[in-house]
Amino acid sequence: MRKVLIVALREYVETVKTRAFLFGVILMPAVIIGIMILSLRISEVTRSEAMPPRPVLVLDRHGAVLPHLERAFEEFNAANPNQPLVLVRPGSQEESFDAALTRMRDGEVEAVLEVSTDAVGGEGGVRLARRGAQLDLWRTLSRMAQEAIVRVRFEQENPPLDREYVLRLERGAPFELVDVATGATGGDEATRALTPFIFVFVLYMGMMGISYGLLTSVIEEKNSRIVEVLLSAVSPLQLMAGKIIGMVLVGATMLTVWVVVGYCGAQMRGMTYLVEARTLVLAVLYFIPGFLLMSSLLAGVGAACNTLKEAQSMSSPLSLINIVPIMLSFQISQYPNSALSVALSYVPPITPFVMILRICGDQRLPFWELVLTQLLLWASVLAAMWAASKVFRIGILMYGKPPSLIELARWVRYT
Amino acid sequence: MSEAMTLEGVGKRFGDFVAVESLTLRVPAGQIVGFLGPNGAGKTTTLRMVMSILLPDTGHISVLGRPAASEVKDRIGYLPEERGLYRKMTVEKTLRYFGQLKGLAGPDLSRRIAAGLERIGLANWAGTKIEGLSKGMQQKVQFLATVLHEPELVVLDEPFSGLDPINTEALKELMFDLRRRGTTVLFSTHQMESAERLCDRIVLINRGRLLLEGVLSEIRAQFASRIVTLEGEGDFEPLRTLPGIVSAEISGGQAQLELGDSLAPDAVLRRAMEQVRITHFEVHRPSLHQIFVKLVGADHDAGARGGAVAIAPAEGAA
Repeated sequence: MRKVLIVALREYVETVKTRAFLFGVILMPAVIIGIMILSLRISEVTRSEAMPPRPVLVLDRHGAVLPHLERAFEEFNAANPNQPLVLVRPGSQEESFDAALTRMRDGEVEAVLEVSTDAVGGEGGVRLARRGAQLDLWRTLSRMAQEAIVRVRFEQENPPLDREYVLRLERGAPFELVDVATGATGGDEATRALTPFIFVFVLYMGMMGISYGLLTSVIEEKNSRIVEVLLSAVSPLQLMAGKIIGMVLVGATMLTVWVVVGYCGAQMRGMTYLVEARTLVLAVLYFIPGFLLMSSLLAGVGAACNTLKEAQSMSSPLSLINIVPIMLSFQISQYPNSALSVALSYVPPITPFVMILRICGDQRLPFWELVLTQLLLWASVLAAMWAASKVFRIGILMYGKPPSLIELARWVRYT
Repeated sequence: MSEAMTLEGVGKRFGDFVAVESLTLRVPAGQIVGFLGPNGAGKTTTLRMVMSILLPDTGHISVLGRPAASEVKDRIGYLPEERGLYRKMTVEKTLRYFGQLKGLAGPDLSRRIAAGLERIGLANWAGTKIEGLSKGMQQKVQFLATVLHEPELVVLDEPFSGLDPINTEALKELMFDLRRRGTTVLFSTHQMESAERLCDRIVLINRGRLLLEGVLSEIRAQFASRIVTLEGEGDFEPLRTLPGIVSAEISGGQAQLELGDSLAPDAVLRRAMEQVRITHFEVHRPSLHQIFVKLVGADHDAGARGGAVAIAPAEGAA
């Protein structure tokens, strides 16, 4: 056991020191957070930037809508004095939409808004021509047009209707969402729905990180022929166990950093309601065997191959199957007790991902499901370690063409 | 304990290929034993079985009195033929890691690392990364890692491969150091000159089988060729008719005679001195190289004919 720990410690220290680890753990989250903050700042700057007035050609075929639009433009310009809109009237009342589009193409106006004759009374609507994907401008103009049309409708009511009165009748009742687990209320529902996804994505990154690290390290030892020297001091099983433990520690470090950063971030923005302590504990309980399983399989693959490229192509089925829960994360977290979610929980390599998604979706999954998936996970960890140690023992001293999966199976059976 | 290691009827196959066939040999403690054989003879496979890296299919191995090296790993030092070091680790950390894996720790380990680096002349390189060392230096570091824990048995697979003459000499000195300390050294090599200078005993294998084993000087005596050369002033011709002479080449003041089994070289010298003033007399001693080439060549011929080897001379110590 002492030797296993020595191997694990070296593996841990040497991996944590590498540039790839620093990049993956510290730099990448830092860059992601940096970009997020920067883009927020940039959009603030853009919003406050002074821009030349934007002319909008309005074709009011109805006739009564225009005055309301004019007032809306004035209100908008009062609220956004540095990015004013200018309402442009058509040259003649008969100016066609196509002619207006030509003026727009020539650069005379920024957008064209056409309110049809029966926009107020009948089924007719509004046409808006705008350049490219300027979402904000489109939203502003469509909101203004809708509001103007509604105002005209109210004016035309006889006897007149009090708009404020109608709005009061239609107002929504205050709605409060309560978490069954925490009792917490409030918070942004979109963020809440996104949380399981972020959670699983972080775990996925961690798992990919240690997978890659383990493959690299096994292949390095194999290629640089260190392995035989090591095997004169430790048994193949000790070597493999040491490397796996070292790598799981690396994964744990990585996740700890991210979780602490994430938690502090959530606390700063008052969003700690997003992840419950129980979920975090369960995440640890699922990801320790998850990491162990993945590492054992990859230690076997790494030992059987000679180059990182070979190892990556041989381990690609594993990477692919791990993407499945990522792709299905929305369905699983929204419908945690659907047949698909339950079935996927019992596919060992992805059990941790699926279970975490389900737990995020339903804080009170049946206890027997937790027990059963844990048992399954640990049983597959033991099976994978057993098989991997066999492959490891043969493969680690084998050079040349990597074995096929069938040959690998034979190694496991005959040693 | 008189034997550091014994092999009895050890065999190993890889599929249809017989790498080692029923090998039996003993390595007495405290000696330097050369393990010789052509490429593919089964040397590395044998050493790997000794180290429990491969498991033999048949036979028994005993290392330092135990049935497997895996039980006494901390008392053995092994330098494999395929060797390497972590490129990104410093010399000092590399040695510390391997030392720890061999059960060393604390100040004792630090002291040994410092003394070892001093001994191999790399005291100033302790903080350098392995990738910053020359190949020769890396090999020395590797050798140091092998013996840092002062093992009772050191197994070296092709320790001289890739070394320049200076480093080869340095390594030989280190191996003599080991013997002075009472360490048993088993090493495989192609370099007959090195084996000749270093070994107390040799083991020669070919095609997975033992050809020859024994004390080097005795083996030499056994294979001493029956050729003598004489130089001097006088007439060598009468020697031609000496009973037991197989052939003779005589020219001027020189004679080269091949002797039959019944005729001893000193008898020829005594007889010659009666007629000639001898200035030079030489009994040709075969070099290990010649013995190697002769035995292995004959074994390959036997193999080609499908016959068995019948060359290994009986050896008392075996």
